[in-house]
Amino acid sequence: METFLQQLVNGLTVGSIYALIALGYTMVYGILKLINFAHGDLAVLGAFIGLTVITGMAGSGGAPANWIVIVAFVLAVLVVAIAGVLLEFTAYRPLRHAHRLSAVVSALGASMFIENGIMLIWSPQTLTFPEGIMPDTAFHYGTVVISATQISIVAISFLLMLALYLYVNKTRFGTAIRASAIDQDAARLMGINVNKVIVSVFVLGPALGAIGGLFIGVYYRQAVFDMGWIYGLNAFIAAIIGGIGNIPGAMIGGLLLGLFSSLAGGYISSTWQQAIVFGLLILILLVRPTGILGERVAEKV
Amino acid sequence: MLKQKILIAATALTLGAAAATAAAESVTFGVQAPITGQYANEGQGIEKAVRLLAKQLNEKGGLLGKDVKVVACDDEGKATQAALCGRDLSNQEVFAVIGSYTSGATAASQPIFARANILQTSDGTAEQLTQHGYKLFFRNAPPNSAEAAFTGKYLVKAKQYKRIAVIADHSSFAKGLGEAVTASIKKEGGNIVYNGFITAGSQDYRSVLTTIKSKNPDVIYFSGYYSDGGLIRSQEKDLGIDADFVGGDANQNVKFGELAGKSATGSVIINVPAPENLPYPEAKSFLSDYNAAYGENPPSIFTLTNADGMRAIVKAVQETKSFDPSDVAEYLHSLRDFPGFTGPLGFDENGERLGSAFQAFEIQDDGSYKTVYPAN
Repeated sequence: METFLQQLVNGLTVGSIYALIALGYTMVYGILKLINFAHGDLAVLGAFIGLTVITGMAGSGGAPANWIVIVAFVLAVLVVAIAGVLLEFTAYRPLRHAHRLSAVVSALGASMFIENGIMLIWSPQTLTFPEGIMPDTAFHYGTVVISATQISIVAISFLLMLALYLYVNKTRFGTAIRASAIDQDAARLMGINVNKVIVSVFVLGPALGAIGGLFIGVYYRQAVFDMGWIYGLNAFIAAIIGGIGNIPGAMIGGLLLGLFSSLAGGYISSTWQQAIVFGLLILILLVRPTGILGERVAEKV
Repeated sequence: MLKQKILIAATALTLGAAAATAAAESVTFGVQAPITGQYANEGQGIEKAVRLLAKQLNEKGGLLGKDVKVVACDDEGKATQAALCGRDLSNQEVFAVIGSYTSGATAASQPIFARANILQTSDGTAEQLTQHGYKLFFRNAPPNSAEAAFTGKYLVKAKQYKRIAVIADHSSFAKGLGEAVTASIKKEGGNIVYNGFITAGSQDYRSVLTTIKSKNPDVIYFSGYYSDGGLIRSQEKDLGIDADFVGGDANQNVKFGELAGKSATGSVIINVPAPENLPYPEAKSFLSDYNAAYGENPPSIFTLTNADGMRAIVKAVQETKSFDPSDVAEYLHSLRDFPGFTGPLGFDENGERLGSAFQAFEIQDDGSYKTVYPAN
């Protein structure tokens, strides 16, 4: 039982990171019907910006650890949000009216560009985060261990997701986002500035992704330039499981994926972990092709 | 008179041509190593060591009067890239190839170099590398089987662990070493409570470790690479698992300590001695040269075993006065007790390295290694 609970804790932590990154995929898809394949790499960019801030500030001494972490997160969010907007301007906006495949190819190219850019700036090696940045307190319940880092990751993720949910569903601009997702032309006729909505999505998505990426960094205390691919893929799967385009869906998908892959790794076989995750994806798509919370898409005739 | 003139002209021509070839003549050593990617730090170490050795040779007038050149190919530690490197280096007509670091990448390029009649030396420790009958291949690090026999003895006889968990990854090296260690533990009469795999590079090993925790082991043995080993050790401590950690030779890298952080203290790694702990004068002088050239120590012992592989080939060329790969190989197959950086060096008829002593060393608070077995 305690082993099971420990697996749940592990899964929940990874799951909330997946969920944060998945939100970026789902928001962009919701508005533009575009899979932003560069999103995973944007998240990793957040990890590297955070790493630079943390090593820089921890090295110069003086600043307390809590402040270093806060500054790192703020800067990572800012820089990655700017990168997200630049990405939209350069890689996606010129192709807005082109064939959808062109945009997908552009997304893949952007992904490689960011990944290799990170490699050139920060080196191809595995970089490590200094110790003592996150508090190393841990809580023991029997043999179940929950670290302060895990609690902060889960708590902050849930808060952010709740805030996003309220923003999209309860505010005026959130209504504009939802309206643009349903029908861009109609939204424009209603006086909504759709371009502004699109830019906002490329600010919010990458910002959340940067937090997810930096969580990966502080949780595992390492960052590698090419890890965006596997985390991006997992978050993408999470978005699809939950129903791509649907914000609560991405949250549920991420958590479900984290829990499922943790349990599969612990109880079935860690060798087949990834294969089992894809199995789950296929199964869910067979039963519900639009994902758990995805709405039925009526075919336009 | 005319005859004489022609003779002089002809002599002048041949002399000129001879002079031209002497000046242009060079011999190229290829480096095939993971210069980027997960094992970048090891690959860069190998390239740096080979370039340094080549520079030192050139300062002494080259190899048999030829200028020594180095070309490097990055295999990223991947088999597909390694095959491309095989073709690339063969096309550049290298004389010998140093590398690669991983057994998987080495296995992928081996047949290509064998067909192109190019000497190759690698630290890859997977058993099968020397079992193909390639006459020009020389392993410069001791194989998995030797390490496994030592590990089994250390775990079961020396430390008397009662409940052993064994983890490997799916690389040909780690899988082979994991299986060999499992067999060796059983042979020594040890009790294995868990035997499983992780996916290298996946960062999260908590689900495997949580399962291991429920088996209540007193030691966890990991046969894979440092980039995973450091994280396994740190996540083991995070999960409050009270078991010792013993890692195979590929865990011996400065990055292991960085990744594991405080948790690194007390972990034990089994390998031939670390570069800093080598007692041989050749090794000490090379280390100081390396440090002077690059401002850092070699990342691990494999930098030096690969350097030894190159030095053995150089020695063979100098002794046989020949650049014919089969002459060199014949000499190397009978080489015994060559004073290598990593101890007396020789090769058997399969190109297997002879002679070298394993040690178990414990990581101390300050990150240094202390030999714990065999006691000196």
